[in-house]
Amino acid sequence: MKYQNGRVAAILLATTIAGQAMAQEQTVTVVLSEELDVVEPCMASRSNIGRVVLQNIAETVTEIVPGSGLQPRLATSWEDMGGGTWRFTLREGVTFHDGSSFTAEDVAHSIARTTGDQIVCEIGAKFFGGIAITTDIVDEHTIDITADPAQPILPLLMSTMTVVPAETPMDSFVETPVGTGPYTFDEYNVGQNITLSHYENYWGDMPEVLSATYLFRSDSAVRSAMVATGEADIAPNIAVQDATDPATDYAYPNSETVYLRVDHEIAPLNDVRVREALNLAVDRQAFVGTVLADGTLLATGMTPPSTLGYNAELEPYGYDPDRARELLQEAAADGVAVDSSITLIGRTGNFGNVLETMEALLQMFQDVGFNMELKMFEVAEWENSYSRPFAEDRGPTLVAAQHDNANGDPVFSMYFKYASDGLQSGIQDPQLDDMIAAATAATGEEREQLWSDTFAYIHDEIVGDVMLFHMVGFSRVNPRLAFEPTIKTNSELQLAQISFN
Amino acid sequence: MTTNSDHIPAQPSATEDVPTSPAKQVLRMLWRDKLAFFAAVFLILVILCAIFGPMLFEEEATRQDLRGRNAPPFDFSRNWLFWLGGDTLGRPLLARIIVAAQNTMMVAAGAVAASLAIGTTLGLIAGYSGPRTSQVIMRLADVIMSFPSLLLAVIVLYMLAPSVGNLIIVLAITRIPVYLRTSRAEVLEVRERMFVQAAQVMGASTRRIVFRHILPIVAPTLITIATLDFAFVMLAESSLSFLGIGIQPPEITWGLMVSQGRPYLTSAWWLSFFPGLVIILTTLSLNLLSNWMRTALDPVQRWRLEIARKKHG
Amino acid sequence: MKSFLGKRAIASAISLIGLIVLVFFLSRLTGDPTALYLPVDASLESREQFRELHGLNDPLIVQFGTYVSDLVRFDFGDSIRRSEPALDAVLRAFAWTLQLALITMSLVIVTAVIVGSLAAFHVGGVFDRITTFFSLVGASAPDFWIAIVAIVLFSVNLGWVPTSGTGTLWHWILPVAVLFIRPFGLILQVVRGSMISVLGSAYVKTARAKGVRNRPIIFVHGLRNAMLPVITVIGDQAAALLNGAVVVETIFGFPGVGKLMIDSILQRDFSVVLAAIFVTAVAIFVMNILIDILYAVLDPRIRY
Repeated sequence: MKYQNGRVAAILLATTIAGQAMAQEQTVTVVLSEELDVVEPCMASRSNIGRVVLQNIAETVTEIVPGSGLQPRLATSWEDMGGGTWRFTLREGVTFHDGSSFTAEDVAHSIARTTGDQIVCEIGAKFFGGIAITTDIVDEHTIDITADPAQPILPLLMSTMTVVPAETPMDSFVETPVGTGPYTFDEYNVGQNITLSHYENYWGDMPEVLSATYLFRSDSAVRSAMVATGEADIAPNIAVQDATDPATDYAYPNSETVYLRVDHEIAPLNDVRVREALNLAVDRQAFVGTVLADGTLLATGMTPPSTLGYNAELEPYGYDPDRARELLQEAAADGVAVDSSITLIGRTGNFGNVLETMEALLQMFQDVGFNMELKMFEVAEWENSYSRPFAEDRGPTLVAAQHDNANGDPVFSMYFKYASDGLQSGIQDPQLDDMIAAATAATGEEREQLWSDTFAYIHDEIVGDVMLFHMVGFSRVNPRLAFEPTIKTNSELQLAQISFN
Repeated sequence: MTTNSDHIPAQPSATEDVPTSPAKQVLRMLWRDKLAFFAAVFLILVILCAIFGPMLFEEEATRQDLRGRNAPPFDFSRNWLFWLGGDTLGRPLLARIIVAAQNTMMVAAGAVAASLAIGTTLGLIAGYSGPRTSQVIMRLADVIMSFPSLLLAVIVLYMLAPSVGNLIIVLAITRIPVYLRTSRAEVLEVRERMFVQAAQVMGASTRRIVFRHILPIVAPTLITIATLDFAFVMLAESSLSFLGIGIQPPEITWGLMVSQGRPYLTSAWWLSFFPGLVIILTTLSLNLLSNWMRTALDPVQRWRLEIARKKHG
Repeated sequence: MKSFLGKRAIASAISLIGLIVLVFFLSRLTGDPTALYLPVDASLESREQFRELHGLNDPLIVQFGTYVSDLVRFDFGDSIRRSEPALDAVLRAFAWTLQLALITMSLVIVTAVIVGSLAAFHVGGVFDRITTFFSLVGASAPDFWIAIVAIVLFSVNLGWVPTSGTGTLWHWILPVAVLFIRPFGLILQVVRGSMISVLGSAYVKTARAKGVRNRPIIFVHGLRNAMLPVITVIGDQAAALLNGAVVVETIFGFPGVGKLMIDSILQRDFSVVLAAIFVTAVAIFVMNILIDILYAVLDPRIRY
């Protein structure tokens, strides 16, 4: 798409002539739940940073669009050259906020910076761990990206890579982020607000929203009140009990999955009957519409239904406490120590109503005869229990966790959660390791099938964990805006997608 | 702030008989001040709940009913335990409040008593002893005042096992400075007074002077602070328990009920309101009772509680 | 006076150093912050890289040595969270806290002393009962209750004031009002108690017996002697405010030192924790020195 001078000039003229009042109306105020530690594009996979930076200030190479799959963004097309190399053709006529042109060199630099070892970037750590990425600049608008080991989903991985100018320092985070996006970063009054304004030389369509202010309030009731009084226009994340106004409040699947990670190494959890009993003891349906929001889905796998490889044929475990008791008795008869004290660990503030959920689960488990106690921890302590290395003397544990995967492919979750070496995995199953490796290397329909099979294996055959829910988030939007949250709202808020009523 | 030494004890100028037993005397004085009387009744009720509550109501208080969650209060058709409403898991609020009294009282009374005793003792020592001891104690108080309680709680959590005892320790430590500094300030003032100097001249030991003469002067202020500290501790405890340091679910205290009801202030107000109300009533009662005790124990003021109102002219 | 200040300054400096050493070592006992800054799915290499970058792999003594050598240049290190100097973050936050604390305590002192003394004047009377009731309710009610109810009532429903945030004078009304209530309740009760004792004392009775009708004189004389415990408690409450009013800051979005401290503690951002403790400790130590001087001013018999 060509950069259209005349159109932009006309709009500029219109906004200045039409007066400040018009410009005011095209401002959006967003109130977020916590403030940003850094405004750095390579940290944009963290949701509060992503909501400000992602696709607003800094754009990614490719983009996942809900409903359409992987789409061009800064790259217009890509092709598999084999041997782990993909050739990306880059968009022409794009400039950065500082005026410099966007070329392949910028992409190469961004990749090196994000995955390099001079700074620890969230994007690099989260998506590129264990992958060596090299780039080869073919010409100004063509670049070869090679991954070792070969990644069949490299273009999908590139949807996480934000692009910054080649002059960006390799060894420190930036204070003033510069990107190719439709908005420039104006300033960050730490603790108070961040302001963005539109970038006249943006390569794409001029957005309706011309400037934005981001505010920070920790309390959901206050965020909701602010939109109600008009002090803010969007609160992308409010609690279910504050979402009481159907005219302004939207529910959306937020790509989070809640489950109980089971530690298979310690008896009695190493017995598949005991794990099955755990699953049958939970009345999942009773949570929906009560403790958790209406629209919460019962989960059978780690990734939400919109993700590739989702196995729609799997049935969530039903509520069958009698069968659960039977299973426990069977196991006890075989000498399994079913009445050992099991610790159920939860994390305070993990999601809305987490404490009620944990207490209800505790009750359900105790009802079928488990000897269980509940411990609620803050983040640091919970992390110790959730990730390896695990404590030697820990006893049988179930750790409640919430996992977010809106990136289109299970590969981002499966290794960590299920492989024998996975940092959060409680399972040591060589067959499962093989299945994960096979699916990771496959492409196209075969990949989908292999992932589906893996989910079936985990859920039905080895009963790997207690899958619970795919969660729902809530947003409140001022009626003067036309904006509906999607599954991506958990991690980004594209101002360019907002229009006015 | 003087209350004794240069005064004449008031005579009960009454038209009634002088009561014989001290218990009856106390009850009569309590009855004079109606508010204090009801305060005492309420506190006895709370203590009874603390002792017998879990024994009697544990089962009802923990019975969950997910579909009956956030049941509104004042529905008199239901079991009396539900008259204050149901909580987020459908458990009856009144039963939970009764059962929670035990943990709440244990933590609050433990922390306040400990900080009061230790703080006052250290403050008396600081006020009465030599400059070096006094300087060390006071700087210690400064350090405690600057050490955030949350950090202390996290450290204790890591170094020691989580338990209610550790929670009480953390809360007690953070409240020591106010008692320490208040008692020390009083001692500084009082030790220069004539009667103290007279006692010293007469050969009274330091301990006697401190406990018999100084402490009774300091006590009323300290008690006032302590009664209000009760409320503060009850609420502060909840923000520490979320760390995993003390009260773990399904154990519960009033402070925890209040903070767990926070997200529902606009939709299910009773979740925070009734436990909060009980905290307020307990504080009010403690304070009214302590004010009454102050009047009753002070020979100068006592007449207010002893003289009967004459009915005729 | 000079020797008093001199000795006191030295003692305070020693305690400050002791506090820093204590906090430094104790806080590092609470585990490795790496896991808090990286996503759960970060690889082991990233975690190692992070630890190297932030010097977390060095033995504790070495870390302490580096810390002290930086400290003499007033360099408290960088915040792990923000990649900015810790002291900058703290001073910026402390400015807000200081403003809130000063405004609130000024209002509290003036109103609590006046109302408390008036209540003490007619013990048991209607005014006394009513003020006692309201002050006790205020002092024992949870502060977030009051804050959120106030926001819903005065901002959402009545529209008199903004919900939250900083900016104009109107933005300060609710936060200060909410912060005001507990110290007001406590100090009012202490003033009242103190005044009751003083007003019942011999020299006041003598003054009255001698025909001194002028209430203000009794008021002022009585007040002067009653103030010792009162200013002690005022100091205690002021210290609490200087440590930051977390709930008010959180709800109203005032970026003060309370929220900064809590977030830093939970995120194990050690440099910010230490810097914040240092700054608030200095403020509290100075305040306590002033209070001790005030004791001597109010009651000349006091010697140290």
